[in-house]
Amino acid sequence: MMNIKRVISTIEKNYILSNLKKSERIDGRDLWEYRDWTVKSDVIASAEGSAEVTLGETKVITGLKYEVGTPFPDLPNEGVCTFMAELLPLASPLFERGPPNEQSIELARVVDRGIRHADCVQTKKLCIKEKEAVYILFLDIYVINYSGNLIDASGVSALATLISSRIPEGKWADGNLEWTGKYLTGKTIVNELPLVVTYGKIGDIIFLDPSLPEELVCDGKISISVTEDKITSIQKSGYATFSIEEIEMLSKKTMEISSKVKKELNLWQYKHDK
Amino acid sequence: MPLIIKDEYPEKLFREDGKRLDGRDKHELRPIKMEVGILENADGSAYLEWGNNKIYAAVYGPREVHPHHLAKPDRGILRVFYRMATFSVFDRKRPAPGRREKEISMVLTDCLEPVLFLELYPGTSFEVYINVMDADGGTRCACTTVASLALADAGVPMRSLVTAVAMGKIDGELITDLSGIEDKAGEADLPCAMTWFNEEMSLLQFDGKMDLEEFSKCLTLAKDALTKIHAIQLDTLKKKYIEIQEEHKGGENE
Repeated sequence: MMNIKRVISTIEKNYILSNLKKSERIDGRDLWEYRDWTVKSDVIASAEGSAEVTLGETKVITGLKYEVGTPFPDLPNEGVCTFMAELLPLASPLFERGPPNEQSIELARVVDRGIRHADCVQTKKLCIKEKEAVYILFLDIYVINYSGNLIDASGVSALATLISSRIPEGKWADGNLEWTGKYLTGKTIVNELPLVVTYGKIGDIIFLDPSLPEELVCDGKISISVTEDKITSIQKSGYATFSIEEIEMLSKKTMEISSKVKKELNLWQYKHDK
Repeated sequence: MPLIIKDEYPEKLFREDGKRLDGRDKHELRPIKMEVGILENADGSAYLEWGNNKIYAAVYGPREVHPHHLAKPDRGILRVFYRMATFSVFDRKRPAPGRREKEISMVLTDCLEPVLFLELYPGTSFEVYINVMDADGGTRCACTTVASLALADAGVPMRSLVTAVAMGKIDGELITDLSGIEDKAGEADLPCAMTWFNEEMSLLQFDGKMDLEEFSKCLTLAKDALTKIHAIQLDTLKKKYIEIQEEHKGGENE
C-alpha cells in the first residue's frame, strides 16, 4: 500500500543503478522500452472530449470543455487551446492539495508546448467570426495514479481527448452566435500528432519511460516532443546534464520510438465521424 | 457528450408511459458499480459509478497532521476534501475549489465522523480525498457512499458503513435517486445518509417544498433505497477478500 517514500534509501538507489549498468531495469524492461499503454476515449459524459490513459500503473484522465470568447488582438482569426494539469492528492501521498505547484505547471506546459509548436490543433478552424468570436478549448489533465512519467501519459491523453472531441458548431449571423446543430470533431480540429517522449538519466545511463522508483532516484529527465520529422519542444529537468552527443542520439531515438508508439496506439481510431 | 447546447430544462419530467426521462420507475435506482482498492498509493481507495457519476475516493491515515495546530491532543481529526473536475459539469467549473465544494466537504466530514473511533487516534488525522470526474446529480450522496467504502478499505476501525441517497419530488410525485436534470428542474431535493450502527440519519439537507406527510413518506422510502445500496457496499468489500482468499487457496497456509 504505502510504498512511496519521499527519500529513497541509498541501497535501493544503488540497486537500481547497478541493474541499469547491466542494461537491466528493476521491472524487467530493457532501457528503451515503454511500460504497457492503454487508452480509452469518451469516458466522461459531461465533457466534449475525454480520454483515460494508463502507462504501467500511471493513470491520467483528461477532459475537454469549451467556451466561446473573443480572440487575442494579435491573432484575430484563431481559437485558443489551453492546458491545465492537476496532481490530485489521491494519486500519491507526495502530492499536496492546494493551488498548482511547480510540478503540475511544468507538466501542463510541457504537454502544451509539444502540441502548440506542431501543426496539431487547427486554431484557424476554431474561429467563428474574426475579431468577434472564437472557441477557447480547455484541456484539463487529472492525475489519478502517480507511478512515474506523467508527461508521456498526459501527452497521449491530451491527443486522444482532442481526437475524440465533438464541439457544437457555431456560426455568426447578424452579430449573434447561432448553433448549426452540427459538430466540429477531432477530424477537423486536429492535424499532426506530436508525441512527447521522456527519458531518465542516472550517472551516464539514459533510459526511456522512468517508473516511479527510477524517477525518484534519477539525476534528471529530458522530454522531447516530435512530429513525424520535426522536433517541436524539449524540456530538460533535474540536475542531470546531457552531452551534445547524447542529445543528438536521443532526438534520433525519439523519432523512432514515437512513430512506433503512434502506430501501436493508433489514436485516430477514437475519432467521431460527425 | 452533451447533446444539448443550451442548458434547457424539459417541461415534464415524466414520460407518456409514466416512467422517468431516463426510463426508470419512480423508486428505481440508477445502475451502481463499486470497486475498492483501486489506487495503489493510498492507504485505502474506492471507485464508484452511479448512473453517470464517476467518483474516486482515497484515504490517508492515521498520519501526522499538517498544519500542526489543527491536531487535537485527545482525539484524531477527520478531514474530507470534495472536489469536482473542471469537465465534470455542463459549464466548465473553475479549477480552484469554490464555496459549494467547501461546504459539501464540511457536510461530508460531519456525516462520516460519527462512524469513526477518532478518540483512539489522538494527535493524528485521517484525510479523505474525493474527486468527482463526471457528475450527474446526487454527487454528495454518491461521495458519502464511496468515502465510507474507502475508509473501510483503508482498514480504519468503523462502527458501520455510511450510505446515502437523494430523494426528491418531480411533477408532484415522490421519487428516489434524483438524476442531474431531475435535481435542477424538480420541486424538491432531499439528500440523506444513514449510519447503520444506530440506523440514524447522519446527513440531511433539504431544498424545495414538501408537506409533512410527503416528507415522512420520503424518509420511509429512503430507508428502502439505502438498504439496497448498503447491500452493494457490503458485497463490494467482501468481494475483495473473497478474491484474496481464492488466490491463496491450496497454498501452504490453507
